[in-house]
This record gives sequence, C-alpha cells and structure tokens, in this order.
Amino acid sequence: MKKKVLLMGASGSGKTSMRSIIFSNNPASLTARLGATIDVEQNHVRFLGDLILNLWDCGGQDAFMDNYLTTQRATIFQKVGVMIYVFDVESREMNKDLEYYRDCLEGLRQFSPEAAVFLLVHKIDLVRQSKRETFDKKRQELIENSAGTAIEVFGTSIYDESLYKAWSNIVHTLIPNANVLAKHLSTFAQACSATEVVLFERTTFLVIATSSSTFSGTQSGLLVDTDDGSQGSMEPTRYERTSELIKSFKHSCARVRGEFHSLEMELWDFTAVLDEMTRNTYVLVVVHDPTIETAAVKLNIRMARKKFEELQGNSLVS
Amino acid sequence: MATLVSPSNNNHRPKTSNDRPLGQQNAPRTKILLLGLRRAGKSSILEVLFNDLPPKQTFYLETTMRITPRQVDSVIPLEIWDTPANVTIETLGVPLSDFATIIFVIDIRDLYNQPISKLVDFIIAALKESPNIAIEVFVHKAEKLQEDDKIENYRQINERVLDRLIDINPDYEHLPINFYLTSVYDHTLHESFSKVLQKLIDSLPYLEELLNVFCANSQSPKAFLFDARSRLYVATDASPVDSATHNLCCDYLRMLNSFGPLYRSITSGPVRQRTTPQTPPPTASSSSSVASSSSLSKSPMTPMTPVPHPPSRKHPKELFYPSAATTLHPATPGTTLTYHLITRNLALLAVVPTNVYENRRGLLEYNIVFFREGIQEICDVEEEAREGG
Repeated sequence: MKKKVLLMGASGSGKTSMRSIIFSNNPASLTARLGATIDVEQNHVRFLGDLILNLWDCGGQDAFMDNYLTTQRATIFQKVGVMIYVFDVESREMNKDLEYYRDCLEGLRQFSPEAAVFLLVHKIDLVRQSKRETFDKKRQELIENSAGTAIEVFGTSIYDESLYKAWSNIVHTLIPNANVLAKHLSTFAQACSATEVVLFERTTFLVIATSSSTFSGTQSGLLVDTDDGSQGSMEPTRYERTSELIKSFKHSCARVRGEFHSLEMELWDFTAVLDEMTRNTYVLVVVHDPTIETAAVKLNIRMARKKFEELQGNSLVS
Repeated sequence: MATLVSPSNNNHRPKTSNDRPLGQQNAPRTKILLLGLRRAGKSSILEVLFNDLPPKQTFYLETTMRITPRQVDSVIPLEIWDTPANVTIETLGVPLSDFATIIFVIDIRDLYNQPISKLVDFIIAALKESPNIAIEVFVHKAEKLQEDDKIENYRQINERVLDRLIDINPDYEHLPINFYLTSVYDHTLHESFSKVLQKLIDSLPYLEELLNVFCANSQSPKAFLFDARSRLYVATDASPVDSATHNLCCDYLRMLNSFGPLYRSITSGPVRQRTTPQTPPPTASSSSSVASSSSLSKSPMTPMTPVPHPPSRKHPKELFYPSAATTLHPATPGTTLTYHLITRNLALLAVVPTNVYENRRGLLEYNIVFFREGIQEICDVEEEAREGG
C-alpha cells in the first residue's frame, strides 16, 4: 500500500533537513550541509514493511511553487494522503508564505479533498522569548488562514524531541489499524505486568502505537504539553524523547561500526526492555514492579512476536 | 581501614561517602583553577560538563565578571574556580599553592602574543609558588577549524608556549605541561577533563588494579569507571583507551541518565530504594541460576576470589544497584555494553562479548559484586583520609 506525502513550504524552511533526520538517520548537526531542493525530490520509504510512504519533497523557491500551482497542479495534488506544510517560525515573508499555503490548500481541495493536513511551525529553537506564546500566536494565525480545513499544528525543532512528536502523529494517521495494534499492546502489557508498552517503527523509531491507547493527534503542542491522563504521573514527552534518545544512540553505535540491537535497564524507578518485536518494529516494555525480571519480559516479547507479525500483516492488507 | 567504628556505636548517619549533601561537609576540596582570556570558553566548559548544558546553548552564556568557585562532587570533592579574564595572581585572593591544578583555556584561533604571554606568566608564577602544581592547557573551540588547520594551530600554540618558556629559563624544558585539543561539541572535552581529574585521585592505582582484575576475570576487553553524572571517567583498565569506545560509553551513559526520569512514575510501583531486606534484589536472583550452568564449560572466565575485609563497614549496604545492558550487532560475535552502578556517583561500564554476557551473566554479576565492594572500600578510606587530614 502506497501513501503519498507532500512536503511543502518556503525555501529554506527545513523540509529536507527534517526528512534527512527522520528517514535517512542523519544527525541534526549535518543538516547544514544539505543544498536547496530543486523541483521535486521523490522517494519511497518503506515504513512498517508493506506500507510505503511516497515522499514528495517539493523545493520551495517561488518559481517552483508557481509551477506546482499551475502547470503541474494535477500531478502534485492528486492522490495525496497527507500534506505537511512547513513554516519557518522566523520567516520574514509570512504573508507570502501564507498566500502560497492558501493556494496549496485550494489545490488539495480540488484534487484530494480527503488528505490530512499538518502544519509545522519549524525552527522553534530559534525563538528566544516565550516559545509557548510565539507558537500559540502562529497557530492562531494559521488556523485563520486555513478557511475551515481541519488542520493540526505542531511546533518543531530538529534539535529536540518535538520533531519526533509531530512525525509520530503524522504517521499514526497513515497506519490503517493503529487502534487494533494499541488494543493488543494493552493485552500484552497486562501479560507482562507492564505499566506501559510502546511500539516503534524500526528505522525511524517513530511511535506507532502505545498500550495506553490515548496516543492521538488531538493534542497539538509544544515542549510542555498537557497530560494525557491515564499515565498521569509520567513525563508527557516520554515517547518522543525515547525516539530521540534511541536514534542518537544508534548514531553513536554506527560510529564504532556496531548496530544497535537491544537494551535492558533496571533503574531506580523502573525496569525496561527495548527489543525487536517484528521485522520492522521495536517494542519498549516499561515495568514498575520491582519483582519482574528482565528475562521474563524478554521471554514474553519472544512469545508475542508471532502474533504481532500476524497483526501487522492483517492491518496492511486493506 | 574502617576500624574506628565499633558495632556498638555504629552511627547510621545518612551521610555516606557518596551522597553527602552539597556544601555541608567539612572535608577539604581539591581545587582546580580555570584561567583564560575573555570568551576563551571557561564557563562553557564547566556548564557543559557539570550542568548538562547543550553545547549549542553555550553561545548565550554571560561573561563571568568575578571569581566564582564552583563545588563539584565527583569521585573526590572538587572546587573549580571559574575566573574572569582580568584575574591576576594578586587579585586571586588566595595563594596559588592552594590549587592542585591550573587549567588554562585558550581559543585555538589565538596564536598571538597576548594569550600566550598570559599563560607563560602564570606558569612561571605558579611554579615559583608551588613547583608541584599540574599545568594543563586546553586548546579549545577545536570545532571552529578544519581538520588540517586544527592540528597545525594546536601544534603552533604548543610550540610557542614551550619556546617562550625555554627562552626565559632553559630549565623549563622539562616542565610537566600537558596540552589537550578540546571542543564542547564532541567528546574531546570529556576525555581531556577525565585525564586531568585522574591525576588528582590519590587512590587511582588501586582503582585501576581492580579494573584490571575485573577485566581479566570477565573476558572484558575494556572497562571504565565513570562518574555517572558528569560522564568523566575516573579510571580504566590497563589496555589502551580507544576514543571510539570511550565515546560510545559516554553516549551510552548519557542515554541512561536521560532515560531514568522519563518513565518515573509517582503513582505506580514501590520504589527500589525502599525495598525491604526480605526481597532479594533482582540482579542477584537472576544471576544465581546462570552461575551454576556456567561451570560446565572450561573457560578463562573465573570468579574473582573474595578478599577478606574487615567486618565493620562504615556504611550499610544497599540492596539494589541500577544496571543496564545494550547489545550491539555487527557481525558475530557481537558486543554488549554493561552498566552497573557501583557507588552513588560511580558506574562501571564494561565491554563484554555478547555470548559471555548471555551465557555467564551470573559469573559476571558475581564479579561485579566483589568489584563493587573493593571500590566502596577504597572510597571510604579516601573519604576518611580527607576528613582526618
């Protein structure tokens, strides 16, 4: 199954940088070396085995944009699954950015009215005053310019976990049976006496589903977010922080020509195991009961593998 | 050793060598003086090492206007003096001989007269006051230059300082001055500061010997004893330090440090520090079953022989110590990085072949128990000596 993902926004807003971090596993420090994208760079990313993300990284210079909106209009905007529009938070030409954005929305309405729209207020790390305030203002502005189209807005930066939060939410909408996966994860969590189980995609380490199943895109936001209630006392940014931590450790491993494989921890407050679940997913099991051994959790993971391979197969046939 | 404390008046003060409250102890601190020109990077170094400041943020640090001593509790209690650029020996307020080490921070692009003269002046003054003081030069902000220029500038600064010293007095040729190429953006700062720190630890040879014994008996090609919070390594075994392995261990420790608070939950599960003595610690119980099976095969992996130690211990034993392991998967055989907390501050990071970790985990953990006892005793003695002296 193929899903077309449009990545749009003004030139230099950071589209290619984020793509290279999430999908090519490059560290943030290397993004400065990326050149401007000329026209459209298309690539296919295998995500969760059978789901293929067809990424259209659209160069943002005015000449290209005008092209997308006129001669290439049909090619660009048809069969879109998701459009991600990136805004540089410090953009000097916000009015022009917004004008192009409105035109793109129009194109989308014409050719792919079903497409989901995500807006990223990017480079939020550059804001020196209150990030929250700046973000809220931008968000309001963007909502006003969307003419009633349902949108989700995220504040992102390539230097922290916010990028993983936004992208986890984006891919979540693309996975057909995410809720079924979440239900089975809850069952699995019970079997392990785990407080929480989180399923990650293998290469991107984006969150696919969690046992607490409240994982959803309804809360758009920034560094500090409101609690999701069920795991009330745990760090609200834990999933995306985990993605970020593991990704950066994978870089460290790659530097010694090793490949990260698994992790187990018995720390002061919890026991956790991170291990392969299926061919293209990793699972993190977090247990707060000090009598549970990591070996038991690992055994459970091994036993659950077959079931999850099956589930994943089913969810992607549709 | 800890024979002062008889069982009758065994005081169970919460104060241990490893979790003393900041600033409350009277033990003398080992002092380090940090010098350098304005914006050389002195405060950045301290913030990145001891405050976990992201390197990118160091750009926004304010200029240090006055001398700021900063207490750091590492394996030994340290006091690091951050200074403004205009400080002189006279304005320092205390004799230079109070310091065990001077670290001079110099911007790698500063090949000119001023920083080098200042460094040379201080070196000469310091040597007059205390000939045994260690002098370390951090050629800093290495990230600002390309690889070739970096080495060239580093070499030039090194050469100019030494030339200048020899000009003044030919006897200075064999001064123990060490140069390090550092940057807050990579691991060189941690590695260099580790080396500086190690020279200040009196018990270093004993720590190293214990690490050697551990490595030899656990088939570990490399093991580090890290200060867990600052990620400086306090000691390592005798095999040469390969930067890549050091960097990986450093990153691993950072990841574990960050993981700790992420899934901490106030509502669920009893906290391990409060486990009652009846429940065995998880690590110990999981190891016992594996230990017996490992006796089947003959291998160079042997349990360390327990060393009899005086029964009276200063500190009550903890029942639980955090541990972790991550396996890397190149081709076979694969390596596992283990992490075991040894004291409140120190953690053992060891590289172990994955098959050893999986098949002989019990023995490995058995060895760690004895390693831990040894290190704790050394730390206790060290602390007593410090308080007594």
